[in-house]
Amino acid sequence: MIPTQWFLILSAILFAIGVCGVLTRKNGITIFMSIELMVNAVNLTFLAYARQFHQIHGLIFVFFVMAIAAAEAAVGLAIFISLFHHRATIDVDEANLMRW
Amino acid sequence: MIEYAVFFFFAAVAVIFALMVVLHRNPVVGALALVASFFALAVMYVLLEAPFLAALQVIVYAGAIMVLFLFVIMLLNLQKQREEPTRPLQQFLGYAGSAAFGIGLVYYLSKYAVMELPAGPFIADARTVGIRLFEAYIFPFEMVSILLLAAIVGALLLSGVRTEERT
Repeated sequence: MIPTQWFLILSAILFAIGVCGVLTRKNGITIFMSIELMVNAVNLTFLAYARQFHQIHGLIFVFFVMAIAAAEAAVGLAIFISLFHHRATIDVDEANLMRW
Repeated sequence: MIEYAVFFFFAAVAVIFALMVVLHRNPVVGALALVASFFALAVMYVLLEAPFLAALQVIVYAGAIMVLFLFVIMLLNLQKQREEPTRPLQQFLGYAGSAAFGIGLVYYLSKYAVMELPAGPFIADARTVGIRLFEAYIFPFEMVSILLLAAIVGALLLSGVRTEERT
């Protein structure tokens, strides 16, 4: 049986990679995929702790997180399609209408 | 021992493909790399004795959500778009900040989050998860179904209606 800690470390590495993607990229869809990566890292943490403490609540939370990630992906991609119709680009720096 | 070999192999696969998502210029390659990373994470879920969640990860994430991403990338024909590189300062701060964050987190976890192994096997199959989901979590479950309905309506409204008619 693999120690819980190693799963947590893998999850931390994946989360940091996701943060890096959000901070350094400009392509909206790539930023979105980085967010999905971070969501999955957190799911892995949930499952690791669920096994550690023999709690099934962690699994249920992962289930809900997956459902909400699906909803988020649908709405977010629709926003990008709308943005593409207006600006012909999905560069997030071009979407500056509401920027202060 | 074979368990450790599987863990390290698929952990390496997950991290390498995640790096490819972040570093590759072409979003199609990024999306396919993300699918591969999700498959490796599904193997992690099997190692964590949650086969039901592993199946959901493959079907829902790698199957449905990533197909949606790929579909939008193809629909908008994004491969041809040149992505402007970010400003060097932002790039440096992004890489340095996320590296510091990751190294700090890994250091903290490897130093302080040492736990003994769980007592016995913990098999969370579809039956256990389903019973708990429909007993204690029935209200959040219904809320999620309403949220998904709202997401469908919102996505249709945002992407389907022509903008000329609305403005």
